[in-house]
Amino acid sequence: MSSTYLITRPEHDDTTYYLSIWSKETIKLAEERDFKVLDLYREKANKKEFEEKIKKFSPKLVMLNGHGNFDLVTGHKNEIIVKAGINEGLLKSKIIYALSCKSAKILGPKSIEAGALNYTGYEDDFIFVYEPEQFSRPLSDKTAELFLSPSNLFIESLIKGNSVKEAFEKSRTALKKSLSKAVSTLESDPTAARFLWWNLINFKSHGDIGAQVLD
Amino acid sequence: MSEEITEEIKELVIARLEAIPPNKKISVGNYGEFTKDELIEGVKSESEIGKKIIEIEMGFLRAMKQGIIK
Repeated sequence: MSSTYLITRPEHDDTTYYLSIWSKETIKLAEERDFKVLDLYREKANKKEFEEKIKKFSPKLVMLNGHGNFDLVTGHKNEIIVKAGINEGLLKSKIIYALSCKSAKILGPKSIEAGALNYTGYEDDFIFVYEPEQFSRPLSDKTAELFLSPSNLFIESLIKGNSVKEAFEKSRTALKKSLSKAVSTLESDPTAARFLWWNLINFKSHGDIGAQVLD
Repeated sequence: MSEEITEEIKELVIARLEAIPPNKKISVGNYGEFTKDELIEGVKSESEIGKKIIEIEMGFLRAMKQGIIK
């Protein structure tokens, strides 16, 4: 039986647009690996749709793109999709990656208490640097790549059958590589370094790090 | 951030932000997207985004000094 991958991709500002386009790469890989993909794109990235799809298909892997806070993650036009104390129980038995700000601080641990297998994300703001002149083709943005490629690697590793621990380490290693590049090479933008370091220290994983998407 | 924001700290952070190329923007989560000049203005006025940038910059400099970042 194939695994199911649910992803939210709001697109209502520069930040969510970049996250949406970059995370689309994970959809391609999931489809190649015969995952059933539930892509909650733009207006579909809302609480009602999210809850319906979670209940109906019970995806093992969930990626939440969007803005967030310590106890919540939002979808399109900043509608709250999941919030601690309200509906974190929906995340039971799932592996979640939240590419959003701060939610690993409270929503992460709360979702684990509610039965989630693992919740990985950022305990403070997720920051990235980008080149506005590349806005029409974000995947060609070499500055954004320093930040978003390591992020994608976490999900891609899980799709390929790695454990959360392995995926987390691969993602961290890629982030460190981006940081080293930003610090030490002229070709790379040295100003990105401070923000890569910030993401690195705030990248956290809660719950079972031995969990895998593929049974 | 618990440390006091002195004029010296603000000047240091602003000097480092000046190195950001004009063709780059920074997405800072819920705060939004900023140009170099907008971040510098935030540091000068000690707005919420300015305080966040000071926190990040000073933490980064400390990590560099301690050899955590190589």
